Amino acid sequence: MTSTPNPTPEHTAGWRPAARALGRALVGRCLRVTAGLRQTWRRSLQVRVVTITLVVSSLLVGGFAYLIADKITSILLDNAETDVLLRLRNGSDYSAKQFNLYSQPQEAQLQDTIEGTVNYLAGGDPQQTSGVVVAITADNYAGIIETRTSPAMDVRPLVSRELRAAVADGKVAHQIRTGRLTGEQTKYLVYGSPVPTRFGQLELYYLVPLHRQDATAADARATVLATGVALVLLLGLLAALVTRLVVTPVRVAARTAQRLSAGLLDQRMVVNGEDDLALLAASFNQMATNLQRQILRLEEMSRLQRRFTSDVSHELRTPLTTVRMAADLIFAERDEFDPAVARSAELLQAELDRFEELLTDLLEISRFDAGFAMLDSEPTDLVPVVHRVADRLAGLAERVGVTIELAVPTTPVIAEVDPRRVERVLRNLVGNAVEHGEAKPVVITLGVDQTAVAVTVRDHGVGLKPGEEKLVFNRFWRADPSRARQTGGTGLGLSISLEDARLHGGWLEAWGAPGQGAQFRLTLPVRSGDRLTTSPLRLVPADATLPFGGPRDGDLLAIGPGGGGALAIGPGPTATPDERAEARS
Amino acid sequence: MSRRRTLAGLLCAALLALAAGCGIPDRSDVQVDGSGPAVSAGASSFGRGEPPTRTASGADREIFVRNFLAAAAGEPERAYARVKQFIAREDRNRLAEKQGSEVAINVVRLTEKPVITENASGLLTVRVPVQQVGLLRANGVLGPPVVTDTEYQFSLRGSAEAGQESTTDGGYYVTDPPSVLLLDTLALRQYYQTRTVYFWNSDATRLVADQRYLPLAVPAERLVSEAVKWLIAGPSDWLRQGVSGLPDRTALINNAVKTDGRWEVNLDLPGDDRRKLEKLGIQLSWSLSDLDGPLQLTTRNQSRVTIDDLAAHRLNNPVYPLTEGPQRFTVYDGAIHPLVFETESIGTVPIRAEDNHTIVSAALRRAAEEKTLAALVSTAPGGRQRLVAGSGVAPVQVMTPAMQTFTAIGRPVWLRPLGAAQPYGLVVADGRLYRFDDRARMVQVAVGATGQVSAVATSLDGHRIALIVGGRLYLSAASLDGGVVSLGPVRPVATTLTDLSAVDWAQENTLAVAGSTNRSAVYEVSVDGAQQAALVTDVGARVTHLAVYPANPTYVLPAVMMMYEANGVAYRYRSPSAETIRSEQVLDVPPPPAGGRVGSPTAPFFLF
Repeated sequence: MTSTPNPTPEHTAGWRPAARALGRALVGRCLRVTAGLRQTWRRSLQVRVVTITLVVSSLLVGGFAYLIADKITSILLDNAETDVLLRLRNGSDYSAKQFNLYSQPQEAQLQDTIEGTVNYLAGGDPQQTSGVVVAITADNYAGIIETRTSPAMDVRPLVSRELRAAVADGKVAHQIRTGRLTGEQTKYLVYGSPVPTRFGQLELYYLVPLHRQDATAADARATVLATGVALVLLLGLLAALVTRLVVTPVRVAARTAQRLSAGLLDQRMVVNGEDDLALLAASFNQMATNLQRQILRLEEMSRLQRRFTSDVSHELRTPLTTVRMAADLIFAERDEFDPAVARSAELLQAELDRFEELLTDLLEISRFDAGFAMLDSEPTDLVPVVHRVADRLAGLAERVGVTIELAVPTTPVIAEVDPRRVERVLRNLVGNAVEHGEAKPVVITLGVDQTAVAVTVRDHGVGLKPGEEKLVFNRFWRADPSRARQTGGTGLGLSISLEDARLHGGWLEAWGAPGQGAQFRLTLPVRSGDRLTTSPLRLVPADATLPFGGPRDGDLLAIGPGGGGALAIGPGPTATPDERAEARS
Repeated sequence: MSRRRTLAGLLCAALLALAAGCGIPDRSDVQVDGSGPAVSAGASSFGRGEPPTRTASGADREIFVRNFLAAAAGEPERAYARVKQFIAREDRNRLAEKQGSEVAINVVRLTEKPVITENASGLLTVRVPVQQVGLLRANGVLGPPVVTDTEYQFSLRGSAEAGQESTTDGGYYVTDPPSVLLLDTLALRQYYQTRTVYFWNSDATRLVADQRYLPLAVPAERLVSEAVKWLIAGPSDWLRQGVSGLPDRTALINNAVKTDGRWEVNLDLPGDDRRKLEKLGIQLSWSLSDLDGPLQLTTRNQSRVTIDDLAAHRLNNPVYPLTEGPQRFTVYDGAIHPLVFETESIGTVPIRAEDNHTIVSAALRRAAEEKTLAALVSTAPGGRQRLVAGSGVAPVQVMTPAMQTFTAIGRPVWLRPLGAAQPYGLVVADGRLYRFDDRARMVQVAVGATGQVSAVATSLDGHRIALIVGGRLYLSAASLDGGVVSLGPVRPVATTLTDLSAVDWAQENTLAVAGSTNRSAVYEVSVDGAQQAALVTDVGARVTHLAVYPANPTYVLPAVMMMYEANGVAYRYRSPSAETIRSEQVLDVPPPPAGGRVGSPTAPFFLF
């Protein structure tokens, strides 16, 4: 298309975009092919080995082939040259003797002698098809002595000016020329020698066709080439086979390892023979067996532990119920006891509450561990849930002097959730915030977008030290082990909340900084079973200060116009997915 | 996978390109392999023997005419060019040019000096009275003349071209030239050398000499080539009857060249035969009689005959089977007697005494196996003459008289017999030619010329016959094929002698002829008549009998040996004059009867 000669203007207008499109298509295709090739190259050991073998062996074989073919050609040519040179020297000696009988170029018999000499040197028989042409020229006596050739033909085009000059200079010289003497384009070895005579110099030329040498050289070349190509292909094939021998078991091993890692612990490799690969397979199988045994053992241990916990909890509940009833009785009668005993009854009651609570949490946790926790999802408006939680904890908050502030949409926020579990999570979060709020306000924020709902609980207490964002979700973790509990926290609340969030397919994350308080965020999908990608609310509160005056880890920098025409660098306008990695588990 | 295929394709292409790149190139630079051969040094004999050019004579008309008559001499290819230089530009077309072997030069003998007359208008007319001697062909053969003109006329004019008076060189141009090339016999002698070449007779037992003319302008290096070409071209026409040439289609390949002192002759010889090649080697060694050193004959089929030394080869293969020198005999008082001269060997009469009587003339020859051939002419009753012949170891036991008798029988001659074959001789009887054998059976032999046969002579080889028929000299070739002597066509020999009476062979290519100019004389005449020289000019009477021992390369004698008889007196020629053979020089002469007339020796002859 691009080679269209003399395109008319109308056409140019038409084909330029077309050409551009074609070019783009070509470039795109090339890029795709290149990318595909790169991928194949990276992924296939076999392709790499075979390719490298092909390249290296081609270079080697090519080099050798070139050397051999070149050597054969030069030997053939040398032989031809030696032969012709010998003939030429004999011929010029003979001619010199013949012409030595004449003292003037005009002598009548000289021309006959030249003709006879040429015929004699050419073998005499004009039917002879050796193709050798003998010519005697007289450049110095043009017009007096005619050029004679045998067989008669015009050899002038084949005898170059340079050769003529060299011969005229008294030198024996040769040259290879290609020309058409007998109708076929043929390479000729043209040899020239001066023939001294009494009156001056004549020139004798032998034109020897190189059919035979050319054909032999071509034969040799073809043979060498075919051998070389066959050798290269064979080497390639060999490399492919050998690589395949090695790669196939490796691939099998890889596949087996993949399955193994996917949990199919009973996958094993087939062991063939006693070679290295068999050793690999045997070792792999042994490793898999060991792993399987270990994992089973650990699973068994874990199961026993969970069972133990559950059993202990259940076993404790019955005596506890009895103790509870007795304690309740005592507590109800405390006014009749002396104050010290009454106080003890109160303590007993309180600790029994805590004990019961702990036992409930332990049972809940063991349900989670045992995988018995079931989600009871239903479309729920989260606004009343938040209000309810705030109301419940209002008494406690009042007690510690914390105000709970709500930032919830006025419209209903409907999501498919288990309201009981969500409420438990929020209660836990808000309770923690109130407990650690140090008489500063706690802010509950509810946010929603197309795919997710989120609730953040912000306090302004002591905050979390770096690294504690993850620890807070551990069972029985305390920020300060020595600190006495003011509320009846069991140390399992955040763990249970995290399991609840997970059960929803949601996230529960924490942020905190020393002296700046902490914020927890619960993000849940709007439709149950959906996969979360973003959260409608930020984990890091907007009022948090950056530790080094720069953006916090994982936060974006926004570059925009600042005061006085300067550029201002500040935190990015929206949350990024990286933030979520902080405490996601 | 596609990547691998692409890669393999690329590599194959690279291999192909590599392999294709190392073939024989279409064209290469000029590579010098060293210096060419240098000019081989060697004596050169160029530049001699060219006849003078037109301007050499200056204003001398007679020299100009002589030069004009010599202008054709030299290499035949350029003869026309040389002659045309003498001819005025406007008349050059009148001399029709011939090419190659067609070139023939009319050799003429000037019978008088050219007559140059100037007419009133200043035009010079030249009249040249000539005797036609022969036609010199390009192959060096001087054949019999084909024209009978006895006079040529042409004109001369000054060399000034019309309108170019200032360019005159004082010379002349020939206008109205003769339509043929003319060559004076003097010029022939001056610018040519005579060469003797030898051919084998029909049964290849004997070499027969033939004569060729080689221009002196031809360098000596080409002599071998020319000699081979002569041999290939075959003998002169008149010799063909008794002589065979080389096989047809024999050809010389290029020129014979001398390499490291050895002559190399390359031949294309059909029916490649070593025997033929050896025969040719002998032919060639004699034909190149002044050449020594090695010679090699090679045919195209690489058969090869090497002659290590030509001189030794000639010695080993003598051209004539002569082993002894000539012995002189004479007829004295009806019997044969040896002649005694200072240092010469003296023979014995090889016939029995009882046969040695009433002899008129005799011919004795040595033959193979110690035999002697004898032919005697003896008187018969009634004033007639009879031939008596015999052969055998001397003395010849059986002499057979012929049946016929004749009024007059000339001197008989023996043809050289071959081995044990039947010997034959020729004799003239009553104006006709007869052959005879050793039992004197005489059969007439046809002669190709009309007239009375008056003398016959045979050369040493026995194949060339000189005849005098009707007073004129002829040559003919005798063939002995099938045991029958027959003569081929005759070739007239031009000579200025008239009234020829006797002939014999003086040399291989020269005859001694007795005849008359104004007075009786004996001349040496070359076989083609081109050269003649007087031996004896003051014989005083008609020579009736002439015997010469022919000079030959086999048995060389210091001087010409000739004896003749005139007016009943025998003479011995001793250069430069002749002396009478006296009776004291005759051996075994019985003392003359008292008062008896002293006899005189007659009919002297040589036994050889």
